[in-house]
Amino acid sequence: MNLWKISRVAGREFTSTAITKGFIIGALVIPAVMAALIPLIAILAASAQPPADKGTIYVLDRSGEVYDEMVGYLSPDEIRARRAETARRVAEFSTGIMGKAAGERITGSVDQAAAMVTIPEFRVVETAPDADVEEIKGDIRKQITGELAIQDPMDKVLAVVEVDADAATKANADEGYGSYQAFFRPKLNEETVGEIEDAVRWSIRERRYDNAGIDRGQINEIFSVAKRDSKEITEEGERDESSGIATFLIPVVSLVLLIIATMTGGQYLLTTTIEEKSNRVVEVLLSACSPMELMTGKIVGQLMVGSSLLLIYSSLGVTALIAFALADFVSVGMLALIFVYFLLAYFMLASFMAAIGSAVNDMREAQSLMTPVMLMMMIPYFFFMPVVRSPNSTLSTVSSFIPPISPFIMIMRVSSTDPPPAWQIAATIGVNLVAVVVFLWLAAKIFRVGLLMFGKPPNFKTLIKWIRMA
Amino acid sequence: MSDAVQMNSVRKTFGRKVAVEGIDLSIPEGSLYGFIGPNGAGKTTTIRMIMSILFPDSGALSVLGKKSAVESKDRIGYLPEERGVYKKMKVAAFLTHMGRLKGLDARGLKPKVMDWLERVELADVAKKKCEELSKGMQQKVQFIASVLHEPDLLILDEPFSGLDPVNMRLLRDLINEQHSNGRTVIFSTHVMHQAESICDHIVMIHQGRKVLDDTLGDIRARFDPRRIHMETAESGDHSESIARVDGVDHALLKDGVHEIALRDGVDPHEAMTRLIGATRVNSIEIKRPTLEDVFVRIVTGDENHADPALVRAQILAGEQGDEGAEGGAS
Repeated sequence: MNLWKISRVAGREFTSTAITKGFIIGALVIPAVMAALIPLIAILAASAQPPADKGTIYVLDRSGEVYDEMVGYLSPDEIRARRAETARRVAEFSTGIMGKAAGERITGSVDQAAAMVTIPEFRVVETAPDADVEEIKGDIRKQITGELAIQDPMDKVLAVVEVDADAATKANADEGYGSYQAFFRPKLNEETVGEIEDAVRWSIRERRYDNAGIDRGQINEIFSVAKRDSKEITEEGERDESSGIATFLIPVVSLVLLIIATMTGGQYLLTTTIEEKSNRVVEVLLSACSPMELMTGKIVGQLMVGSSLLLIYSSLGVTALIAFALADFVSVGMLALIFVYFLLAYFMLASFMAAIGSAVNDMREAQSLMTPVMLMMMIPYFFFMPVVRSPNSTLSTVSSFIPPISPFIMIMRVSSTDPPPAWQIAATIGVNLVAVVVFLWLAAKIFRVGLLMFGKPPNFKTLIKWIRMA
Repeated sequence: MSDAVQMNSVRKTFGRKVAVEGIDLSIPEGSLYGFIGPNGAGKTTTIRMIMSILFPDSGALSVLGKKSAVESKDRIGYLPEERGVYKKMKVAAFLTHMGRLKGLDARGLKPKVMDWLERVELADVAKKKCEELSKGMQQKVQFIASVLHEPDLLILDEPFSGLDPVNMRLLRDLINEQHSNGRTVIFSTHVMHQAESICDHIVMIHQGRKVLDDTLGDIRARFDPRRIHMETAESGDHSESIARVDGVDHALLKDGVHEIALRDGVDPHEAMTRLIGATRVNSIEIKRPTLEDVFVRIVTGDENHADPALVRAQILAGEQGDEGAEGGAS
């Protein structure tokens, strides 16, 4: 084996695959554009916020008790206070699922967002009890058509709300409560409509509590149960209960990353091998290097393609985790293990691809031989839920020792919150190494014979015959 | 002088089919050898074994003094019969890649590639993708790939197939130049008169066996002419009178020329003198045997009892594909 020749083959393999428009666009530009678009979308969303609505809300309060509550609810101070409260809850929720640091970060951004948004200004006007709703609706129509000029922005009529006489107080004890009807000017902000609806409903409810003699404060007290961080009891002591994002997101991302990196390299290896064979360039190459050098060079070249993808995507992923202050969930050791399992998974897949690529005459013939390989690549997806739910179950442990799915299972376990013991990591790496050597050895035999075989598409029987032959 | 290639009772089978059987061969350095034989005779298999692309089932082989070509690949130039290029690669880049793969230094490689492209009149396509080239152009590019690293041994498997007469002549000149530079050249062809016009030594392969291994001159001497072509001054069939001349076995008029077959052991020159004495002659010549004649005689010889017509048809069928190209080679 001549290292110089291997490096030449690998170099060509890498440049002809990775330094192409298609690859750069597919693998780099699209994710980069997407990554750039996310903050852009956030900025656009914030800047595209329409100016807060200003104007008058007429309330025809037949009950005579709802209006006062509404005025309070729709005052700027109240609105601001409610928004602050929402932000606090979001932060609390995110702290719950993603950890304290992330929660603080989200609180910060929510506060920032809240500061950017202007509070709508409402003038709530009570009409005379015998006022005609149709007349107010007519005014809104005239304002829209321009028939009625709006001198002061606050004169703009935003809505008219008709509250039933029995909305908060039942007319008869055995009848239900009445309700309300709101009419809105078109094209109002979503949140203006929300605020007004909320105001009516909240006010009616407040009045009902009072009228029924129920203490609102007491009810709130009853409903509120403070949430404390749950703990998991472990051998060493206690720890925070694993959160959703850590148990599912990190393993699934690791798994998908591993599959993308191995499949990309493997797929390209298959196509370039078939191309070399169908172009008849292979014998020209064989005059310069041995089949082993050619296969090794090609596998190494595509390994570089796969690793670049892995490197780029994983650094993007780690950057994202750091940005969201979730970096606690990944460690250098874990990333190193992901790379080790990537190597093992890649070499196994590459040996299949090299063998298939050398055996067939064109892509179409490759399909039938590829089916079992693709099915095999699907298995880790089926194992995702059971393995992630209980990373140390018998199923997880046993499947960790079955190449070629072993690296995929192990990657999920290693990146889970309950990583497997070190001996299992060492043992699975050992098992996979043996498998890699065996698969590469078999692939080399098929590769040597297959490269110069043209004609009848081979099946598994012929492949086995070639292995015996070489 | 030592041998560039040596083969001792080399045998190769594919499953039950015997592709090459007991081939002994020694090709001295600096010679120009032609492997001839019809399609499927075992030429490519023999060449692939010399190149260590295939390995013999039994027998010994040495190439450039080494046990196999694996150790001396960089000193061998090879133009396979199944040849191709990287379609998406640019011509110059492809040649540079091949040169580097053959162990050439990157420095000075580019001018060398350009120089070669100029010599085969392809300088203007250096920046084009290989797929844009015609088949003949690709073949010239592949030839460059095989000689770029100035190999000691050049092996060309059917180098002329698919070339037009002009390019065929160009390639023949290039091969001759390689030979006169002291390189050992082996080339195979199923078009026998191509070998006749280039080689100084012929190896004939038939059904996996070597049936002939000699210089062109020796072959002609050995398969001595038993035929004389004569044009008489008076038109008409003179076969009967000619047949009565001493030493003549029989005569036949064909296209105005009398084809005269001599008896065994008769000296053709003496027979010619007698023929000129017997009739008024416009022209008379000894019909030299073509390689095809030799081939037919060998395979229809005592042991084989093959039908000569059948063998000729077999050769002709092999040449059919290159029919258009033949005119330029002769």
